[in-house]
Formats: sequence, C-alpha cells, structure tokens
Amino acid sequence: MAGTVKLEKLGKPGVFINCDTFDDDAKSAAADNGMPTVRRRIVKSSEFYKLRGTVKDVRPLVEKVFDDIIAALTVPLTPAEANPPGAKQADDGPTEITVTGESFPEAIEELNTQFLEKHWSDGLPLVPPTPERVRWMLAGTARAPHEVIGRVNPKQGLATIEKIAINAVMAGAKPEYLPVIIAAMEALTDEYYDDLHILVSAGSFSLIIVVGGPIADEINMNSGIGFLGHGWRANNTVGRAVRLSTLNIGKMWPGANDMGLTGRVSPHTFYTFAENARQSPWPPYHASRGFKATDSTVTVATIGGSSPMQNFYGGMIGTWTAQGVLDNMVNDIIRTDRGLFGLWGAKGVGQYPGSGVGARSHLIVLFPELAEELKKMGFDQTSLQDEIYKRTCVRYEELSPADRRGIQTGIETGVVPAERKAVFQEALKPGGMVPVLITPENLHFFVAGGAPGCAFSFSYFRLPPYNRIAILTKLVTGATLTKAGSIE
Amino acid sequence: MRKKSVELTVLNPRGMVEAKSAFAPNPRVKDLAGKRVGLYSNGKPGMDNFYTVFEELLKKKYPTVTVKVLTGSFEITDKDAKDWSPQIDTFVYAVGD
Repeated sequence: MAGTVKLEKLGKPGVFINCDTFDDDAKSAAADNGMPTVRRRIVKSSEFYKLRGTVKDVRPLVEKVFDDIIAALTVPLTPAEANPPGAKQADDGPTEITVTGESFPEAIEELNTQFLEKHWSDGLPLVPPTPERVRWMLAGTARAPHEVIGRVNPKQGLATIEKIAINAVMAGAKPEYLPVIIAAMEALTDEYYDDLHILVSAGSFSLIIVVGGPIADEINMNSGIGFLGHGWRANNTVGRAVRLSTLNIGKMWPGANDMGLTGRVSPHTFYTFAENARQSPWPPYHASRGFKATDSTVTVATIGGSSPMQNFYGGMIGTWTAQGVLDNMVNDIIRTDRGLFGLWGAKGVGQYPGSGVGARSHLIVLFPELAEELKKMGFDQTSLQDEIYKRTCVRYEELSPADRRGIQTGIETGVVPAERKAVFQEALKPGGMVPVLITPENLHFFVAGGAPGCAFSFSYFRLPPYNRIAILTKLVTGATLTKAGSIE
Repeated sequence: MRKKSVELTVLNPRGMVEAKSAFAPNPRVKDLAGKRVGLYSNGKPGMDNFYTVFEELLKKKYPTVTVKVLTGSFEITDKDAKDWSPQIDTFVYAVGD
C-alpha cells in the first residue's frame, strides 16, 4: 500500500489490488500512509492463490474483476474520497477505565473479557493494570513516566515508559524487570530496527530477546536447562511484556493488520532467555557489540518464522564432540545458504538491493560445555566466526551460472558492501573460494543452557526488508531495584 | 439496576498515535484510450500471469493504450517511483497479498 500512496503523491492516479483476506490490512495501511481513501479493488484469496499459477487458470478471475479495475481508474472520485477526514489520534478511550463485578474475581473476568474484545490482550489472563500497580511497576526505573523511547509499528504508536509499565503489569512482570523490558523496547523502536517485518509480516517471523550481564542473575532469569521454557517468571514475563507493549502501542491484531499466516511460534513471550555467564568461558555476546563485559544489556533479533530453529545436537541421546557439533553447524549453513547465491542479485523486497532476500545472518546458541570444548580447541568467538566463515566457502567451480550472476550482481548493486567487494571479486574466479556469508560478523554466538545441553541456531536475512537492521543490543539503564543497570 | 459491589479502575495500555494529515487520491483519468497504463508488482509468483491476461483484455478494449510493466520491491523504491511515474498516466499496483 505504501507504494501505491507514493505513486499517488507523485501525481499519478492508481488502484491497489489486494486479496479479501488482506482487506483490513490494506485499509489500515492506507490510513497509516496518509491516504485512507486510496482506491482499492479486491480479489478473493480463495480464487487468486489457487488460480494464479497459469495464464489459463487465472483468466476467468481477471475477466471477472477487469471492469471493476477499469472503473477504479476512470470513475471520478466521490466527494468522500476526494475529501478524506484528517487522521485523528486513535480513539482508544479514556486513560482510565472502570470495570465492575459482584466480586473481585468477577471484575477481573470482566476486565479480561473487555480487553480481549477490544484487541488489547494476548488471549491469556491479564493482571489488572490499576494505577497503584502501575506506580509499583514504575518504581523499578528512575526514568520519567512520560519519556518517549520510540514509536512502534505499524501505527507508529508512542512508546512511553508509562505505557510500557502498564503493559508490563498486565504481563505479570515485576518492577525489577522493567529496565530490561524498556531496553528491549528501545531496541525494537530504534530508528534503524525493522520492527515492521517481525510484527506484521505474512511470513510469521519472530523475535529473540537475550539478556546479558549481571542483571540476568539479579532478576533470576533462567539461563540453564530449559532456558526457553516455562516456569521462570522473569524469562516469561519480560517477553510477554514486550508482546503486549508492541500489540497495544503499535496496535496490531492477527488477521487484521498482523498478517502472520501461521501465527508465531512462542507468540506470547517470544524467545526470551539469558546468557549463561556463570558457565561460559567467553565474554558475553554484548562485549562483541561495543559494550563492557560487565554491562547489562538486552539484544533483540528477528528470526525465521514457522520452523525457526536448526538443531546441531549435543545433549544426552548420542555421543558428541565439539568438532562434530562444529561440523554440523558448517554443513547446515552450507546446505541452506549456498542455495541463496542467485538471490544476491535480486532487487530486494524493500527499498534497497538485497533487503529481505538472499544472504543471511545466523544466531547460534552454544551450550556451556560445548563453548568450553571449543575454547580448549583454541577458539574464542572471533576465531570461531572466522573458522565457520572459511569452512562454509564454496569452490567457484561448484557454482552454477545463476549463482555466479547473482553474486556478481550483488557486488555491483551494493548487496556486498564496499569493504567486502575485493574479497568477493577475488573469490569469483577459477580456483576461488566463495563465502556464503557476506562477512564473519554475520555469525552471532550466545552461550546458554546447562549440562547436558544442545546447540542450535536461528537464522534471518542479513538485511531486513523495511529498515536497516534486525539485530540490536541496548544497554539496560535507569534501574532502581537492581545493582546492575543502575548507572546511566 | 443495582450497582455492582466491586469497581476496578485500570489504566489504558494503548499507545497514542499522533494525528496525521490525510491526502486525497488524484482525480481519475477520464478514459484509458491513448493512455499509458502502468502495471506494478513485486514479482510474487502469479501476478505476472494475472497481468498477462489483464494487459490482453486492456488492449482489446482500448487498442491505443500503452502498457508499462514494472516489477520491483514490495514498496516501490523512491528511485523506481521517480523513474517510472513520468512514463505512466495511471497505474495498477499489486503485490500478490
């Protein structure tokens, strides 16, 4: 829809065609893009997706909608279309809401019913965000309640400390978690982070939230066995508070303007865990991102959709060696990424070449025993990046003509950044070894889990479609109830 | 009706969205005869077939029409929009969603 509005703003009258399943989404996006009465025409999803495969099959559908599309281009605008009402502040009611019941349980049930009906809930029971409870939550931060930390897509809602605190109460979080939740929201709403793709794309993408540094222990996060599981209030409610904050501040709803077709795996809490600093032989992840190892941070990263994890094993079912697990990582990355060379030359889903398509980043979670063994083999995180980067290179002679064209186009269009061009130009000739990773820094290592543990990874595009970055680390600040994160 | 015995006051969790100006679409072309019609898609499979039939029907109904097909990103890039818009009088935009 943004593209249609862009062309209209350049003076060209047009029509946007969308499937009926996406009609609420299109309507919402038209308003978000400042042209609520942009002309739209609808085809039925039940027909389009089945019939679009061949010219012959799709012909009856086009014949059916043809006159309607022509009319959209030629029939004069109605007065209502020509004079759209100015977008007003979204009417989400008063700042305080009163619900009633014959008892507290009944009033709480009424609150949950009303909030779910208004699409203000994630479907699980909510803790009532009473003014007292929100004040209690705000006691966890020294930051001002009305400080705006950013805007949440798709509606660009203003994320204030107070709104995040209200949603944190609803999620069941405790005040000492609030600085961590705020840091996660600061990352998501960073001006360069692509929160739109993770929050509303049909691809059902998801999010990992990794807490690093001493605050993880202070708020009792699980970083050992079961670190992605249930039963740990901090792990579960930090993620849920981010879920509710994005839902309520960005104003999205499944099937309306969140078009994730399968929904997200772990939809209520995302994938929220802490690094196992106590057992890791290496500095925490955030040390590689310019922070001090002693800092407390939150890293958010967008990850793939319906089957987000690749398993490299370890654990207790079979025997394992560090070399064997490392081999599994290398083989998996080669298997999945070498098939993407041709797409390096694609125009990109978004505004710049290579966005939302082609080369990927890998977020690899290593269990402590494995990290210890890798260290004994002489690896730190940087040399491990280099090792995997080198071992996942593909011989030039093994590339298809389409692979070579894709890489060459990627070099020319900037998919391969300027500082990496020489590497790929050198590799793209007989005898050359062509990396499947644009740079070793596209590998990110986190240590979490217990003994025994299991290594796995999440993967995602190196360049997201709608903004510049899809992984970002923020410092935890303003904490008042923990030692960590309390220094600005 | 009897007043219920428990009242629970809670704070609104919704974020404020700042008011924005709304723009109207452009006036429509009166007739497609002799016009340059742009057909834009993001290259999702099937839109090419849809547009193949659409172009055929369009040229049958308006023999003097010129069709300009462009495949690009989900949201047309600023550069493509700037380059393509002078070549068209009106357009159809579809992304296969």
